[in-house]
Amino acid sequence: MKTIFHLDMDAFFVSVERILDPSLMGKPVIVGGDPNGRGIAAACSYETRKYGVQSGMPARTAYRLCPNALFIHGHGKEYGRYSKLVKKFLDGYFSVVQQASIDEFSLDFTGCETIYGDALSFAKRIQSEIFNLFKLPCSIGIASNKTLAKIASDFNKPMGVTYVPAGKEKEFLAPLPIEKIPGIGKKLLPLLRTRGFRIVSDIADTSPDYLAAILGKFGLDLWEKANGRGNDLVVVEHERKSISKETTFDTDLVDKAKIESILFDLTAKACQLLRDENFQSSTISIKLRYSDFVTITRAKTVKNTDDDKVVYDTAVDLFRKAYTRRVGVRLIGIHLSKLSSFGEQEVLFADENVIRKRMLRAVMKIRGKYGYNSIHIGKN
Amino acid sequence: MIPPKIYIGTSGWSYKDWVPNFYPCQQSSTFDFLKYYSGYFNTVEVNSTYYTYINPQIVEGWINKVEEKDEFLFTIKLHQDFTHKRKYNKDNIKSVKLILDKLSNAERLSGLLIQFPYSFMLNKENANHIKALIDTFPEYEKYIEVRHKSWYIERFFNFLKENRSALCTIDQPEIGQAVSFNPVIAGDTAYIRFHGRNEEAWTNSIKSSGQEQTYEQRSERYNYLYTPAEIIDAGLRIKEILNAVKKVLIYYNNHPKGNAAANAFELINFLIGSDVIKIPETILKAFPRLSNKNK
Repeated sequence: MKTIFHLDMDAFFVSVERILDPSLMGKPVIVGGDPNGRGIAAACSYETRKYGVQSGMPARTAYRLCPNALFIHGHGKEYGRYSKLVKKFLDGYFSVVQQASIDEFSLDFTGCETIYGDALSFAKRIQSEIFNLFKLPCSIGIASNKTLAKIASDFNKPMGVTYVPAGKEKEFLAPLPIEKIPGIGKKLLPLLRTRGFRIVSDIADTSPDYLAAILGKFGLDLWEKANGRGNDLVVVEHERKSISKETTFDTDLVDKAKIESILFDLTAKACQLLRDENFQSSTISIKLRYSDFVTITRAKTVKNTDDDKVVYDTAVDLFRKAYTRRVGVRLIGIHLSKLSSFGEQEVLFADENVIRKRMLRAVMKIRGKYGYNSIHIGKN
Repeated sequence: MIPPKIYIGTSGWSYKDWVPNFYPCQQSSTFDFLKYYSGYFNTVEVNSTYYTYINPQIVEGWINKVEEKDEFLFTIKLHQDFTHKRKYNKDNIKSVKLILDKLSNAERLSGLLIQFPYSFMLNKENANHIKALIDTFPEYEKYIEVRHKSWYIERFFNFLKENRSALCTIDQPEIGQAVSFNPVIAGDTAYIRFHGRNEEAWTNSIKSSGQEQTYEQRSERYNYLYTPAEIIDAGLRIKEILNAVKKVLIYYNNHPKGNAAANAFELINFLIGSDVIKIPETILKAFPRLSNKNK
C-alpha cells in the first residue's frame, strides 16, 4: 500500500497576484477574462466563491454573480516562476515529484516515515514551509492513490490537510457529490444525474457492467475511482513526447463542415504549441469519439513539420476517412507525436517553404506578445 | 559555524531619480543623500570612481557623513583606465590608492571592485593583465568581475583564492557567452551584483557600446525591477553558499527610479528577516508590494 500526497496550491494565480500587489489581500479577486466580454475566469479568490463564482466559468457570469470583484489580467510569467520555485522546493524533500499542472503536484511519500515522521505532521510542515518561504497557501491530500489524494486535497480548502487512512477510502468517498471525482465535468455530470447518480456511493454501489454499457471504458475507470482505487504510480515528467488538443462539443455534431472547422482551430493551437517549444512533429493523429462513446484514432506519418497547413491537410484527410458512421460526434482531437527539435540550419536549403516558415515564426512572435487570438492564419 | 556577515546595498546612492521613491520630496537644508542612505543600508558600491579619479577630500566627506553608523562599508570600483582602456601610470595608481587608504584607515573600506568588459575572455594576455592588476593592489581585498564563461574554471578560482581576491557573481540578462546567475565560491568573500534583466535594452546597449551616450541612455539597460519570485529564487541560491564564506557583499545596480533600493530591501527581508529590517515610508508608498513584508 502506498502513501501518496497531492499538493494543490490554493487559488494559485490569485495568491501570486497578491504577492505582486498586497492591496488585493482580503478582497474578492478574479484573474483572467474581461467582465464585459468573452473569456474565462482562470482563478478566483475564496472571497468570490461564496457568491457562487468558480474558476473556469465565463468571466461574464462571474461578474454577474460578484460585481464587486476586482478583475485582473494576470501575470502568466510570474505563475510559471512561482510554480518552478515550489517544484524545486519539493524536489528537495521527495525523490519523485510529478507535476500534474502548474499548481498541482503528486508526491510519493511511501517509506518516508522513517526519515520524516508520520505523513500527517509532515504534510503540515511542508505546507507551512511553503507558506513561510513563498507566501503561497496550499492544501494537501494524503491517500493510497493519486486520484483519491487529489480528491482529498480539495476536501478542506484553503490551507487544509486531509488524510484518508488505508481501508477508509470507500467510506471517505461515499457521501461526496459525484462531481468531486476528476473527469466528471459539466458535460458528463447531467448525463449521470439523469440516471440517478448523485453521490459517489451511488456509483460505487452500481454494477460496473452498467457503467461500461453507458460510458465504455471510462465507465469502468469511474467505478474503480468511486470504490477508492486508482493509479498510485508517481512518475517523473520527462521531456514532452507529444502535443494534443481536443474538444468535447456542447451538443453532439453531425455537420461535417462544422467539425472540420473546429479541427482546423485545434490544429492551429497544437501547431502554435509545437512552434513555441521549438519542435517539429512527424506523426499526426486524430481522435474521434461518437455520441455512443465509440472512439476511433487514425494516424499518418509525414515529413517533420510545424506548419498548420501540412498538419491540417493531413488531419482533415484522416478525419474524412474515419468518419463513416451516421452517428453524432461527441469529441474531436488532434495529436502530434514523434517530436524532434527544429533545427535552424534547415534554412540553408532555401525553398518556398522557408518563406512560410518565417511567416509562421512571425505569427508565433505576435501571439507571444498579444495572445493567441491576436492573429489567425486563413484556411486556404 | 559562525554565520557570515551579510552586507546588502546598491550600486551608488546619488541618483536624482530616486526622489520621491526613496529620497523624500521634502528635504531640509541639512538633508544629505548619503546620510539618509546609510540609515537603511550597511554598504554601498561606488561606481563614480570608474569614470573619474575622485578628490580625496570628497571621500573624507563621505566618511564624516556615515560617522554615526557602527558599520558601513564602501566598495570602490576601479577606474576604467585600468580595466577597459589598459592605459595607466604611477600617478593613476597613486590617486586610486589615496582614496582606498583613506577609507581603509577609517575602517570603511570593503575592497576594490575590478570589472572587466563583457568580451574579456580567458587567454594568456588577459590572464596576465588580471595578475598585474592584482599585484598592483596587494594590500586590499579585490573582487574580480569577469562575465565571459571561459573564466569559470577551477584553476582560475584557486588563483583568486591565493591572491586575496574573490570572484564576482553577477545576475544580468543571459545573452551570448555571458554567465547565468550561479554563486561560485572563490575565497572567504562572496560578492554578488544584480544588474537587472532588461534583455532588450541590454542587447541595444551592446550594439551601441563605444558611442557617446547620455545618462538616460546609459541607464536604460538597468531599468528593471526584479519580481518577488526572482528575489526568492536568487535568495535561495545565496542561502546555499552562506555557510561556505565569512562575508557576503550584495549590490543591486538596477538603479533607475529607486528599483535597486526596493529590491535590496526585499532581499534583506528574505535573507535576514522582517523583524530587523527598517523600510522608509517613501519606498512603501512607491512599491506597495513591500508593505506586507514590513509587518
